[in-house]
Amino acid sequence: MSADDTYAVELKEVTFTRGSRTIFDSVDIRIPRGKVTGVMGPSGCGKTTLLRLIAAQLKPDSGQVWVNGRNLPELSRADLFDMRKQFGVLFQSGALFTDLDVFENVAFPLRVHTKLPDEMIRDIVLMKLEAVGLRGALELAPDELSGGMKRRVALARAIALDPQILLYDEPFVGQDPIAMGVLVRLIRLLSDTLGITSILVSHDLAETASIADYLYVVGDSQVLGQGTPAELMNSENPRIRQFMQGIPDGPVPFHYPAPDYRTDLLGGD
Amino acid sequence: MAASIREGRPGELLLEGVLDHACGSALRARGHELIAGSQASTLLVDCSAVQRSTSVGLSLLLCFLRDAKAAGKSLRVRALSDELRQLAGVSGLSEILELD
Repeated sequence: MSADDTYAVELKEVTFTRGSRTIFDSVDIRIPRGKVTGVMGPSGCGKTTLLRLIAAQLKPDSGQVWVNGRNLPELSRADLFDMRKQFGVLFQSGALFTDLDVFENVAFPLRVHTKLPDEMIRDIVLMKLEAVGLRGALELAPDELSGGMKRRVALARAIALDPQILLYDEPFVGQDPIAMGVLVRLIRLLSDTLGITSILVSHDLAETASIADYLYVVGDSQVLGQGTPAELMNSENPRIRQFMQGIPDGPVPFHYPAPDYRTDLLGGD
Repeated sequence: MAASIREGRPGELLLEGVLDHACGSALRARGHELIAGSQASTLLVDCSAVQRSTSVGLSLLLCFLRDAKAAGKSLRVRALSDELRQLAGVSGLSEILELD
């Protein structure tokens, strides 16, 4: 049993491999309830995989994934389906249904997971769109929306079922500064006012550090460091310092391993 | 505690329990019956016994407001929890529900 109600999500000694590659090697991660937690690390380090493990879209090779007191790898398919109602997921791409308008995109989880009458579904969709500032866009098709608006509609859909946990996969990628600022404000608002536990996977250092209460830095199949943004900024660990300060060369080398350059260009002796 | 809505004193609707997606439809139908059947011209929805609520709770209040309006009655909301007030604030409903 998960020991502590302070944490909405706990990964205990989780190992996950893909083919011969170990993505996570016995990692421990604890996500505080009602806070914004950022998970950062270089591209390809397994950040999205981590979200998928938490959302029970992937099963670890070993270890435990506790969410609100239940160990996901032990749950039946029916229990997992039920459990997923506790999650809202904002995918990197937005992942809106292109053949549905904005209203029906946000209504979709309510139609799938509830038996509410249309009248109540309409109320809730309008409430969620009002929260993200797009109630006036309800009849638009996704291809009529800017990238930032798509992300906000996706956020409205992610909160349609009032999830306790919101997972954000690279929410800031491809966003202009205004859209990014709007998203940062919304993520913070949802956490502060509704007590939603937010887990935000990103390699966007400035935005993530500005919004997160707590940060994990992952890489090399491990948790490299954790702490408040300020603690990690001042870390003595060279790997964390390289990542947090955006230094191009360091423990994570700029050059991919290669044979000797001179030999490559001029040939051997 | 199972969610329910029932009439207390004349014109007083007592909303109780955990208001979630599972019970929304039944509460909506029962509330409609109570409002239609009430002789009072002013209705009061008392939320002091609501233990927890999702957006369904706010939608119910909106449904009851529409029912009351259609029946030519006025309706007020009493003792909304902080949780629902916060949700109403984020959803832009504080003024519509006439919350202080």
